[in-house]
Amino acid sequence: MTQTITVDHIARVEGHGGIRVVLDGNEVREVAFDVFEGVRLLEGLVRGRSLEDVTGIVSRICAICSHGHSITSLQALENALEIETTPQTRKLRDLAYQGANIESHALHVFFLALPDLLGHPSVISLAGVNPEAVAMALRLKKLGNTIQEIVGGRAVHPVNYILGGFGRVPETEELVALQQEILARRADCARVVEILRSVKVPEFVRAPVRCAALAPEDDAFFFGDRIVVSDERGTIPVSEYRSLTNEYLVPHSHAKRSAHDHRSYMVGALARLTLNGRYIGGLAREAWEELGLALPSDNILMNNVAQAIEMIYSIERALHLVSALLETGVAEEAPPSYRARACRGAAATEVPRGILFYSYELDEQGRVAAADVITPTAQNLSHVEDQMRAAARAGAVAGVPHDVLAQRLTVIARAYDPCISCSVHLVRR
Amino acid sequence: MKPKIGIFGLSGCWGEQIVILNCEDQIPDILGATEIVDFLGGSSRNDEESPLDVAFVEGSVANAREEKQLRRIRERARLLVACGTCACHGGVAAMDADQPREAVVCQVYGTGGPAAAWDIRPHRPLADFVKVDAAIPGCPMEKDEFLRATANILNGDLPLLPAYPVCLECKMKENDCLLIARGLPCAGPVTVAGCGARCPGYRVACIGCRGPVEESNIESLQKILVEKELRAEEISRKLRTFAAPTLDRNRQGGLA
Repeated sequence: MTQTITVDHIARVEGHGGIRVVLDGNEVREVAFDVFEGVRLLEGLVRGRSLEDVTGIVSRICAICSHGHSITSLQALENALEIETTPQTRKLRDLAYQGANIESHALHVFFLALPDLLGHPSVISLAGVNPEAVAMALRLKKLGNTIQEIVGGRAVHPVNYILGGFGRVPETEELVALQQEILARRADCARVVEILRSVKVPEFVRAPVRCAALAPEDDAFFFGDRIVVSDERGTIPVSEYRSLTNEYLVPHSHAKRSAHDHRSYMVGALARLTLNGRYIGGLAREAWEELGLALPSDNILMNNVAQAIEMIYSIERALHLVSALLETGVAEEAPPSYRARACRGAAATEVPRGILFYSYELDEQGRVAAADVITPTAQNLSHVEDQMRAAARAGAVAGVPHDVLAQRLTVIARAYDPCISCSVHLVRR
Repeated sequence: MKPKIGIFGLSGCWGEQIVILNCEDQIPDILGATEIVDFLGGSSRNDEESPLDVAFVEGSVANAREEKQLRRIRERARLLVACGTCACHGGVAAMDADQPREAVVCQVYGTGGPAAAWDIRPHRPLADFVKVDAAIPGCPMEKDEFLRATANILNGDLPLLPAYPVCLECKMKENDCLLIARGLPCAGPVTVAGCGARCPGYRVACIGCRGPVEESNIESLQKILVEKELRAEEISRKLRTFAAPTLDRNRQGGLA
């Protein structure tokens, strides 16, 4: 006789998703991470729009990664049009990514995931017992937003990013004030480590975590044009990203799935630290050692710990970038010149949840002939299901009550920090 | 008793819920003054039954499930506030496209296959289904406007939002006019204010993300567009990227 475990609507994740697992004794018959967010078809709708309009539209795919969507879209267009960016533009974009990473990880670690680990339904109830920790989390989150506002002109759906650079570069005074604020927040990092150390990460799922991440370019951790995968020698150029993602459709989801060599993989903080951990130094390295995160890990819930370490990395990296910008001085740069023509280009960056891919085909008038966007959450969906399958099987064998098992499955889904709104906009092959 | 609040997201990018969570300095006050009883995005324990004093709803309605959810929220709530351009005007998912939605579905998801069975409808704003008591536009809504509206509502008033264009805010800030000085197709003259002319402040032309303003001087704009050798379609296309359903309903003259 089969039994079905369902979670109608997963709480504390961005967007609308549910879980359905069918058990037959100890066997797992079916696992589905349902995505029923309404499809918005944005990649299809932008066809025919000019290359100047498209970025402002695709940024709306996702609020929390809107800086990543905007900048990756621009980089794909720049790749197509052969526009070179200046070191100043690259530094400022790097800075925006640190802001996004701080904001997004602070939100996920403290507001969405930590309540699970501490047995609270929400951060509101957590604030009742530990107001100081919540106040600190809010300060860190705010720092991430301040950085995004200064560079991008708005925390959600930035307005200041254009081909080659910026409508207006930040003023020196803004950067000086930001430097002070980052210095002040750096003191919170020790507290972050302390809180995470007091948390016991559950171990109810043990399954290999196959990772994919961009190989960092120089010391820019979130940028690169080659992809590394856990168990593979060699790298995949971003221009051939479809050989990594191999998208396919399943009936229960409005989001496409990814599999590489017919096997799922994971992208995000845990994947980045697993594959590129050697780039992490300073306070973040100290935090990593104190938290005793051993990599590669076969516990996907460690992604939350990896996010905390990365948040500390981003605070230090932001400080480094702001100081470097102040040292050289920030100047207005002439916008790049380009000629609209039929061309194609691709780009990828590491946004908080993992690799984000963009590619465009433009026609001779510079209008979008085809657009392809593959978000981190879409790539993770198959991996989430594989981990759920492992947990469901282990739970069934151990005779875990179904309500507890259902709760465990949501904790697994949440560990990836899924952004379901993002995942339903994937594109034609 | 503290007013009971619900925060809900239909189809969209979660932008308004993020804006609410981005009120880092005011969140403690909001939690002190209200009781947030139903907020799936923030809590795994929610009261999905009791009446609400205020429901904040973001996103557009894209399928039968969301329509049902919205009607249920309306039944429970004394005041329903549409948050963001998707909820107020349909948003980007309701934009004009060169081809019918069925063709776009095939383009994105392929022909045949599971997508054929999905409930895919044109995205619609909330007011197409239920009575909306207050609407805070913006993609995303501005933090200040949300906070002010919330304070108004908690004090028993309905929020008063600008009925003038972005252009006016831009002039007050003494920005150089992008349309007149640089000949850029700026949607500021026909877009409702409230953002403090954010884009022009960065020397980027307004893209109309807040939706149309009720009264605008279309005639004068058209004259300038002719002078600058710009086409009116460039402006109307911007507006129709974010607010096509509202513009179709109003059928306002000239540009739309």
